[in-house]
Amino acid sequence: MEIFSGILAGFQVALSWQGLMFVFLGAVIGTLIGMIPGLGPITAIAVMIPITYGMDPALALMLMAGVYYGAAYGGAASSILLNAPGESMSVPTTFDGYPLAKQGKAGKALAIAAIASFVGGTISVVLLTLFAPALANLAISFGPAEYFALMLMGLLTVAGFAEGSVVKALISATLGFMVATVGIDAQTGTTRFTFGNAHLLGGIDFLVVALGLFALAEVSSLILERKQGSDFTRELGSLRLTKQDWKEIAAPMGRQSVLGFLIGVLPGAGGTIASFLGYITEKKLSKKPHEFGKGALAGLAAPEAANNGASSGAFVPLLSLGIPGSGTTAVMLGALIVLGVRPGPLLMSDFPDVFWGVIASMYIGNVILLILNLPLIPYISKILKIPRPMLVSLVILFCVIGVYAISFSVFDLFLLVIFGIIGYFMAYFRFPAAPMLLAFILGGMMEQSLRQALTISDGSLLIFVEKPIACGLLIVAALSLAVPLIRKAARKNKTDGSMNQNV
Amino acid sequence: MFNTANKKISVLLALLAIGYLVMAFRLPKYPYVPVDADAVPIVLGFLLLLLSGFLYFQKDNHQQGKIRIPKNEKIVILAVLGFVLLFIALLEILGFLLTTVLFLFGNTWFLGYRNWKRNLIVSLAVPLAIYALFDYFLKISLPRGILPF
Repeated sequence: MEIFSGILAGFQVALSWQGLMFVFLGAVIGTLIGMIPGLGPITAIAVMIPITYGMDPALALMLMAGVYYGAAYGGAASSILLNAPGESMSVPTTFDGYPLAKQGKAGKALAIAAIASFVGGTISVVLLTLFAPALANLAISFGPAEYFALMLMGLLTVAGFAEGSVVKALISATLGFMVATVGIDAQTGTTRFTFGNAHLLGGIDFLVVALGLFALAEVSSLILERKQGSDFTRELGSLRLTKQDWKEIAAPMGRQSVLGFLIGVLPGAGGTIASFLGYITEKKLSKKPHEFGKGALAGLAAPEAANNGASSGAFVPLLSLGIPGSGTTAVMLGALIVLGVRPGPLLMSDFPDVFWGVIASMYIGNVILLILNLPLIPYISKILKIPRPMLVSLVILFCVIGVYAISFSVFDLFLLVIFGIIGYFMAYFRFPAAPMLLAFILGGMMEQSLRQALTISDGSLLIFVEKPIACGLLIVAALSLAVPLIRKAARKNKTDGSMNQNV
Repeated sequence: MFNTANKKISVLLALLAIGYLVMAFRLPKYPYVPVDADAVPIVLGFLLLLLSGFLYFQKDNHQQGKIRIPKNEKIVILAVLGFVLLFIALLEILGFLLTTVLFLFGNTWFLGYRNWKRNLIVSLAVPLAIYALFDYFLKISLPRGILPF
């Protein structure tokens, strides 16, 4: 009954007028930013952080969570209308969404995307309500050794599942960890890698890294695409679904919501893998696989349900363990730490308003988004008409304000630009940026728990083998690196892997 | 030896790792600390060295599906970078309002948006709204610079 009373208390927070207002704001802003091609949820949340300064942590997280799943809803619109996915997780939405729009059924496609997102979001929030407290109760017994193993596992799975080269992903994780070692060491007070610069004593702020690597680096692609026509004059058509349509999408939505949630819980495997996997499995299960890619309704509903399921799933490790499983949740973790909330297994008992309030707000947020998206879609999609040159200037401005408002230091702004340049070259040479950000945020905590664990064991590394949970987690960590390597080797033998064939 | 991008990058990374290691080894040591402040950096340095070695022998994958950026677009990106640096450098001298208005209008114009009326309205409204939000609502004072308010 603990869950029941908890979620009731959560609804009290979420249904207060402030709660409702921030969930609504978050959902609207998330939808708007998510729609803009090139801007994903990470940027959306990072840009919101300065606004949350001094806010009540529960409300701040509700706002950011709203932005997060709002962006997952909004991503569908640009995929369907422009064939321009906002980010990788809405790529499968274009496969059947854009053909539908070309057939003059854009309205129906948008409606299905909104309904599938709602179903995916809601089913997975129910699962989140049940899962997160259970995991938090389990994690209370964790010591530093277990924590270190857990964070290492999270980091390595993110690197292992990253697109492209695993070596490059590991390099970017190592670099992120190195950036985290700059500043005064918390345990001994030694200054490390500051080059005598007083601005670096406190370490580099996570917002500098997050906004630089993601938002500012994305600006360059916005600049390159600035002349692309953002005009779609096509009629949207009716939003109405027939009974036959409902029949077609019901089962895929249900299945993919659960699957998406489970994938979202796993560290490293987020919305992108969920939506691709959702698309592929539904194509395999379908009685009419030849329709996929030509405007199959199930092919549109499946990835949307899956990526929204994964968005809520990603909150399980964040809320119950205090460990982000993806770049986006890492940004939220950083924001919570700025607000003085230390996420972890004790979050549920120490800050029940944050823990349960956020979960409750997600039920409400999904309803708001459904209401918002269905009738208002034709009007909201006008945001796609914002001229790109103006968008570029505004994104840069929001990055600069975000950093300046937390540090009041021009030095940090130059650092922001440096990370923007690093992010640009990383994207150019196909180094994934998410492992770097994650390693940067986890780095400090990992070093601390590693040294605590070794202090307990008097310097012996055997502590990681003797503790069964820690040992198990480390084995999973090793496997998560080995599996992609083996998979890659297998794919080399069989030149066209099933993934390429289907997509 | 340096015929692929991966090889060039790996050499750069190796140099970075060595520099980082040198600094890590020169960190002061304390007695009675089981794991000192230099332990993790040393491990990281060697890890990066090892990984850059792997990268050296890896085939490039970054050209796949990548569109080459034309030269004049590179100049545009560099110019925007220059504007951003100028914006930052002048932020505390001229003040938030003035620099932001100039940056928004100038950068948007430069990137090819020619509707100057709309541009001007946005370039004035957004900074004013942000300034009001921070100064009055959030009580965070942004630099005033040479303007009296």
